[in-house]
Amino acid sequence: MKEVITMWKNTRMVILVALSAAIYAAFLIVFKGGIVIVPGITEVRPANVFPPVFGLLFGPAGAWGSAIGNLIGDMFGGSLGIGSIFGFFGNFFLGFVPYKMWGSVFGLVKKEDMSLNMGDWKKIAAFEIVALTSSAACAIIISWYLDLAGIVPFAFLGITITVNNFAAAVIVGPILIALLYPRVKRWGLFWTDVMDKEDVSKGFATNLGSLLMIIGSLGGLIVGILVATGAAGQELYGFAGASGQTAVWAAVLPFILMILVASFMLSGQEQFVDEEL
Amino acid sequence: MNIDFYLDIDTVIHRFDGRTKIILFLVSFLALVLFEDPLFILPIALLILLQNFLARAWMNIWRMRFLLFLLTFTSIIMWNLFASGETHLFWFVDLESLLYSTARTMLILLMIISGLNLLSTTRNEELVLAMIKLGLPYRVGFAISTSLRMVPTISTSIYTISQAQRSRGLDLEGGGILERLRKFIPILIPVFISTIRDTNIFGMALESKGFGAREDRTYYLEMTMDRTDFLVLAFCFLIVGLSLYLEFAGFGDIAGLTKF
Repeated sequence: MKEVITMWKNTRMVILVALSAAIYAAFLIVFKGGIVIVPGITEVRPANVFPPVFGLLFGPAGAWGSAIGNLIGDMFGGSLGIGSIFGFFGNFFLGFVPYKMWGSVFGLVKKEDMSLNMGDWKKIAAFEIVALTSSAACAIIISWYLDLAGIVPFAFLGITITVNNFAAAVIVGPILIALLYPRVKRWGLFWTDVMDKEDVSKGFATNLGSLLMIIGSLGGLIVGILVATGAAGQELYGFAGASGQTAVWAAVLPFILMILVASFMLSGQEQFVDEEL
Repeated sequence: MNIDFYLDIDTVIHRFDGRTKIILFLVSFLALVLFEDPLFILPIALLILLQNFLARAWMNIWRMRFLLFLLTFTSIIMWNLFASGETHLFWFVDLESLLYSTARTMLILLMIISGLNLLSTTRNEELVLAMIKLGLPYRVGFAISTSLRMVPTISTSIYTISQAQRSRGLDLEGGGILERLRKFIPILIPVFISTIRDTNIFGMALESKGFGAREDRTYYLEMTMDRTDFLVLAFCFLIVGLSLYLEFAGFGDIAGLTKF
C-alpha cells in the first residue's frame, strides 16, 4: 500500500491521476441516464472497462484516478448521493487490485516478462482473473455499505455491480491493453517507469496475498449472497428479506478485512523488470 | 457541450464559505437517511428546497428534469415492488409500501438536489480549495481540480470523435451489447491517446513553475468563515441533532412495513 501514498510526491503520477479521473468521469457522464439498474445508485456502465486498464497501466495513479473519476461522474451526472461515498472506495479497489495482483497471478505472468503485451493466452487469463477479482472487491465494498445503510440489499447489488464491472472489462479490457500499452510504454508513462522501485511496497508472501485477495473478493461475494439468501432471507438477485440485518454485514466484514490484509501483503516491486517492446 | 452546473450569480448561498456548503451537503445526507416515513423527511426536504430557492438553482433542477423524472418514475415503481405492508390499496401497492417508496424517492431526489445546490453555488476552484482547507492534501486537490477542468473538454472530444467515426460509417446505435462494446473501441482509443499524450509536457510545465517545491502554499482565492457561516452550521447541526434524537426515540419508522 506504500505506493498509494508515495506516488503523490511524483508530479507525473499526480497528472496521471487527474487525466485518468477525467477520462473515466467523461465516459461515465456520457453514458449516464442510459439503462438504469437501481435508480440513483447504478446504471449500465461500459466505462467500467477503464479502472482495471488504468490500474495496470498507471498503477496507484490509475486506482486514485478511478476513485476520483467515479466521484466526478456522480457530481456531473447528477447522481451525487449516499452511494458516492463508498463508490469512491469501491472504484479505488477496482483500479488497485489489478496492478497489485499482476505479478502474483499463480505463475500466469512470468517473472522475466511482466509486460502487458497481451500476446499469449496466459496473460489474457491473468487479466480476466484480476479483472474479476477487482470487480467483486468493488462490489462487496459498495454493497456491504448500502446494505448496512438499508438502501439496497447485498444479494441484489453485489451481483449487479460484479457483473456490471466485469462485463465491460472481459472483452474490451485485453483489447484496450493491447492497443494502449505499447504507446504508454513508449511515452515513458507506464507506472514502473514513472515511479521508483523503493517507493513501492515490498509486500510479503505475495502469492498467499493474491489468494487471500481472491478469497476476500469472490468468497465475500458468494458468502454474502448465501447468508443474505439464507440467514437474512433475501432472494438471489432480487429484493426480499430484510436488508441491513446483522448476519449479512457481519458475514461480509471479515472478507473486506481480508481484502485489506491482502492489499498490504501484495507488492508490485516484482513488476520493475527491464524490458524491450 | 456545457456540463458545468455552476451559476455565476450573487445570492446569499453563493456567498457562504465553500467549507460551509460542503458541510451542509454532507450533513443533509445524514439527516435524510435516518427516516423511513416521508413525513419526517419533509422538513429536511423543505430546507433543501429553500436552499435551492435562495441559490436560484432551480434552473439546474429543470436542466436535470428528464433524469429526475426517470428516477422518480422507476423509483416509485421499484420500491413498491420491493416492499409490502398490511394495508392493501391496489394491484401491488400497499399503503406502507407506497409511503416507503415515496420516502426512498424523496431521499434519492433530495440527495441529487442537495448535490446540485452545492455545484450550482460553488466554483470548482472554490470547491477544491474548501476540501483542502478541510484537510485534503494539496496534491490530491490539484488532481481533482485538474480533472474537473478537463471533463468538459474530454466530453466534447468524445462527442466530436463519435461524430467523426459516424461520418466514416460507424453505426454506434445498432447491434447487441457485445457488438456495441466492440464499436466503443474506435472512440475509446483516440480519446485516451489524445488526453494522455501530453502528460510529460504537462509535467514539465508544472515543475518549471515550481509545483510541489514548497509544502506551505498560498492561494489566490481567499476563504474566510464569517458569522453567517457559523450561524448556518449551528442551525444545521441543531437539525441533525434533533433528527438523531427522533430516530433514537423510535420515530420516523413505518409501522407494518416489510422491506425488500
